[in-house]
Amino acid sequence: MSTINFATREINFKIVYYGPGMSGKTTNLVYMYSRLTDDRKGQLITLDTEQERTLFFDFFPLELGEIQGFKTRFHLYTVPGQVYYEASRRIVLSGADGVVFVADSQASRRPDNVESLRGMLENMASYGLQPGPVPVVLQYNKRDMDGILTVEDLDADLRADSWPRFASVATQGAGVLDTVRTVMKEVLSRFE
Amino acid sequence: MSPLSKVIMLSDERERIEDVLDTLIEKSGSLCAILITKDGHTISARGTTSFLNITALATLVAGSFAATRQVAALIGEKEFSILFQQGASRHVHISLVAGTAMLIAVFEDSQRIGLVRLHAKRAADGLAALMSVSRERTDREELIVAQFKEFASSLIDRIFSE
Repeated sequence: MSTINFATREINFKIVYYGPGMSGKTTNLVYMYSRLTDDRKGQLITLDTEQERTLFFDFFPLELGEIQGFKTRFHLYTVPGQVYYEASRRIVLSGADGVVFVADSQASRRPDNVESLRGMLENMASYGLQPGPVPVVLQYNKRDMDGILTVEDLDADLRADSWPRFASVATQGAGVLDTVRTVMKEVLSRFE
Repeated sequence: MSPLSKVIMLSDERERIEDVLDTLIEKSGSLCAILITKDGHTISARGTTSFLNITALATLVAGSFAATRQVAALIGEKEFSILFQQGASRHVHISLVAGTAMLIAVFEDSQRIGLVRLHAKRAADGLAALMSVSRERTDREELIVAQFKEFASSLIDRIFSE
C-alpha cells in the first residue's frame, strides 16, 4: 500500500517482481540499477545464497524526485523463486502496490510458470490484494533461448488477456525498462 | 477501486512522535531511534543517523521482523514483540508498536541493554497510544492528486529515457 508521510513529505510505493526460480527477476533489477543515474537510486540490497540464488529478496529504492514538495520513491523488490522459499515470497508481497510476473519462456519451464502464478495469486489473496486494483504486468523473459514457447501459448497459460505483457531478454536489457515503466504508471494511475 | 494510500504521519503528529524518540535516545543513551511501518517505510528517524542508510535499514528490519513472525507462528506464538541483534560494538533493539509499526534503537556497547529495553518499552507504549488515534486527513488538501499523477508520469518517462 502506498504511504504518505505528510510530516517528512514523502510518498512511497512498492513494486514486487515475482516468478519461478531463475526466470530473471534479479537480472531485471540489476539491469535497471545499472541504467539509472546515481541520484535516482539508493543502495541495491541482495540477500542471496552462496549459489547466488535469491534467499529472501533483492531491493533498491528508485527515487522519482520531488513532486509538489513530496519526495517520491518506488521500492522495487524481487521474491526468491525457488520452490522451497514459499514463506519468504509471501512476506515480500505484503503491501505491494504493483506486481511484475517474470515468466521463463522456455518450454521446459511451462509448469513452473503456471505453478508460480497460481502461488502468486494465492499469496496476493492472503493479503486481500486483487489483480486489477493491484496492477499485474507480465514479462515473457528469455526470448533469445532455444526451445521457447510461443507468445500465444504463454498468453494462454498466464491469463494474459487482462494484463499488459512484454517480451524480454533481461540479460541484454530488452523489455526491462518497458516493463518497469508500465507497472509504475499502472500503480500511479490507481493512486488516491 | 484500489485501497487508499495510507497516511503514516501527519504534520501535527510530528512533534509528539519526535519527542518520544528523543526521550528514548536521551534516557537509554542510544545513538538513534527510528520508527518504521511493518512494510519497511520510515515514519521518523531521530538522533545520530548520518552513518546509516535508513531506507535500507527499514527494509531489512521489516523483512527480518516479518520472518520472525512466521517463526513465532511455527512455535505456537502470535508474534515476538522484541528482536535484539548483538554486534561486537553496536547493537540493534527492535520492538513492535501497536502491531503496525516497529521501533528501532541502535546503541553502542557502552550502553546497558536493560536500560535500552526499559525505555524502548516505554517509548513503544507512548507511540502506540499516539498511533491508535484515528487520522483525519486534514493534510489531504496539500496534495493535489491529479497533478501529482501527471508530474510523476512524465518524470517516469524522463528517467527511463536518460
